[in-house]
Amino acid sequence: MPLCHFLELMRQIRWKQIGFAGILFGMLWACSGGGTDTPSPTNPTNQADSDRKAMLTNIADNIIVPAYANFKTKLDAMTAKSDAFSAKPDKASLADFRQAWVDAYTEWQKVELFDVGPAEQYTLRNFFNIYPANTTGIEEYITAGSGSFDVPLSYPKQGFPALDYLINGLGSTDDAIVARYTTAADAAKRIAYLKRLTTQMNSVFTTVYTQWTTGGYRDTFINCTALNAGCSTGKLVNGYVLNYERYIRSGKIGIPSGAMTNGTVSPDKVEAYYKKDLSLALAKTAHQASVDFFNGKSVKTGQEGPGLKSYLTSLGAKDSQTGKSLVEIINAQFDLVSQKLGLLKADLSDDVKTNNTAVTQVYTEMQKAVRMLKVDMTSAMSITITYTDNDGD
Amino acid sequence: MLFGSIVRFWSNGWIAELYEKPHYFFPFYGFEFVKPLGEYTCLLFMICGVSALLVAIGLFYRVAIVSLFLSFSYIELIDKSTYLNHYYFVSMICLLLMFLPAHAYFSVDAYRSRALLADQIPAWCIDALKLFVALLYVFAGLAKLNSDWILHAQPLRIWLPAHNDLPLIGFLFNYPWIPYVFSVFGCIYDLSIPFLLWNHATRPFAYVAVVVFHGLTALLFPIGMFPYVMMVTALIFFSPSVHQRIINQLGKWLSASSQFLRPRRTYRYSPGVKTAILTLFGLFFIVQLLFPFRYLLYPGELFWTEQGYRFSWRVMLMEKAGYAQFMIKDRFGHQTIVNNSRFLTPLQEKMMATQPDMLLQYAHILRDYYAKNGFHNPEVYVDSYVALNGRLGKPLIDPTINLANEQDSFKPKAWITPFHDTIYGF
Repeated sequence: MPLCHFLELMRQIRWKQIGFAGILFGMLWACSGGGTDTPSPTNPTNQADSDRKAMLTNIADNIIVPAYANFKTKLDAMTAKSDAFSAKPDKASLADFRQAWVDAYTEWQKVELFDVGPAEQYTLRNFFNIYPANTTGIEEYITAGSGSFDVPLSYPKQGFPALDYLINGLGSTDDAIVARYTTAADAAKRIAYLKRLTTQMNSVFTTVYTQWTTGGYRDTFINCTALNAGCSTGKLVNGYVLNYERYIRSGKIGIPSGAMTNGTVSPDKVEAYYKKDLSLALAKTAHQASVDFFNGKSVKTGQEGPGLKSYLTSLGAKDSQTGKSLVEIINAQFDLVSQKLGLLKADLSDDVKTNNTAVTQVYTEMQKAVRMLKVDMTSAMSITITYTDNDGD
Repeated sequence: MLFGSIVRFWSNGWIAELYEKPHYFFPFYGFEFVKPLGEYTCLLFMICGVSALLVAIGLFYRVAIVSLFLSFSYIELIDKSTYLNHYYFVSMICLLLMFLPAHAYFSVDAYRSRALLADQIPAWCIDALKLFVALLYVFAGLAKLNSDWILHAQPLRIWLPAHNDLPLIGFLFNYPWIPYVFSVFGCIYDLSIPFLLWNHATRPFAYVAVVVFHGLTALLFPIGMFPYVMMVTALIFFSPSVHQRIINQLGKWLSASSQFLRPRRTYRYSPGVKTAILTLFGLFFIVQLLFPFRYLLYPGELFWTEQGYRFSWRVMLMEKAGYAQFMIKDRFGHQTIVNNSRFLTPLQEKMMATQPDMLLQYAHILRDYYAKNGFHNPEVYVDSYVALNGRLGKPLIDPTINLANEQDSFKPKAWITPFHDTIYGF
């Protein structure tokens, strides 16, 4: 053990690498002078595109940070509308609050995929989007007027799914819902819970966001260019693939449709279950965010920059049998998923019951995309998938 | 002749490699009786470590080397997912050492019993070890003579650009011809190094090459101790005088008597024992020569089916990644998709996903588990997807086959889907 540690330490020392590098450099120089029988370069690598620092810089400055900024705007707006509703609960303020919640929830789909750095460290997703909401637990917390938001059991009692229940699921009409915040015996406690939820969301998100903006994480992120599991590219890709596999494919489609569970349909497990007509829009937004991220599309300008796509292209990743590039193949599969999503109706909880075959087809196509991302893409990039499967739970 | 110092060097290298304690294990076919010992696994490691130390200092050598061989091999056989060629190499070296008088010189045993002390042992004792090391390199080199390695520079073409951020040399890995240089150089190195080491004139240069080559692999690839084990092992090729100088130096520090350092005696086996050992070694080398070629008995592509892949000195030849999703069914309509992380560690899952025999073992683990948990005669199907050396992923296992009914054996596995591509060469 101590020896292993010692060797590990030795390996981390940069001067040793430099020494070996120097020796190798000399050898290669000698080799190339000797004229080895290597084939002439056919496809010169575009060095700019295989530069991971450039890729990470584009992802940080043009994708992650602006996406977080956009989300912060919507989250702030939602908090303001929540406060307005709490101050004067009526149908109009409820409608405003609800719209702001829809906007923020939609914007959330564009940041959930960045499971890297502070978001990974603070498990951002756990505080924003673990569903189905635990309504019994929420009612207990409301009654108690207190309760921790930091333990795993509390994750389904907070975030967007909890707000969904509180503004969409408390009654069949808006009047009935407003009554729970005005005339009901526990109205004050319920209002207090709304405040606790938005406060918690703001506090967790601010912690993550400020690490990027003023906490110096952006520089850490772009300078950790190695491809091992501890550095940015590996973590970013792991988080990205995990989000697509577990939170888009399984969470939004596979589990509610029963495709993963014995064909048992679970309409109550869709995202935004109480809002009814939002689940498909959220799934589409999340899928599109994954596509755009793959293509390196700037959140600010919509232009493609260095990203997974250009990196894979620079590596020359392709199907050796057909010569088709991996990037084309993955994008074609993404298109197919979008097409299949286009065949669904806005309310997935209804669709899984009445139109299940179409929903299952989305799952099937997403599953193919998962394999390409998880096996073909990571293998071509020499990245190890370090997260473990968590399907079927 | 002597090699006490060598034993000393390398045996210290791998004393401690601890195992996690997963829930399920993948024993080797034919060695299913090898089970983890639960809380005593730690004890096993201690036995292994103490034996290694005893071997290194040459105390109770015969007992220690036998227990080292047994304990190390046992640990190695517990779980396939930790299989590494160099563990096998260490095991086999221990097996050879069981029959050799490595304790005859510069050892505690020899210090305690001067009758044992000898600074000369028969040349074949050393030559057997050299031959074994040479065999390893040559087979590793032969294995590289295939179209993926030479013509497509796979998998180096995938692995090297991953290091394009290294200081000084990183930018080189962006050039498409670099992996070819590395591939060709690696192949020539493996095929020629044993001969260059054996030859007195080329030996110093060859050893520099050993250090550079293995140093580079240690730098670029996560292959643990192997480079260091090989760097030290290659010392065995050096002449007795080099080792004598090292030992004299060590002897000075330990203030050993010149009588101990220069006994001028030769270790002798009795003729019967010598014949027996030579016969055994002959058999050992015949087996070692033939075993790596057993893949020829199987249909299909070796890299794809991995039938006959292990124990054949095939190192760093494949970038193979996979994904395996299991479905359990029974005739009463129960059906579930398996969460692999409930059964396996990440390492086991990764290894299982690309290796057919482990996929089958896992399928049987699942069959037995679900049979006890509400399923009646569970059927096990796998949706597998494996990418090999830059090819796009394909199913590795026929998804329509109920793996619960398939048995592992040395026979070809018909439920592996065909590779539909050809890798030429060894």
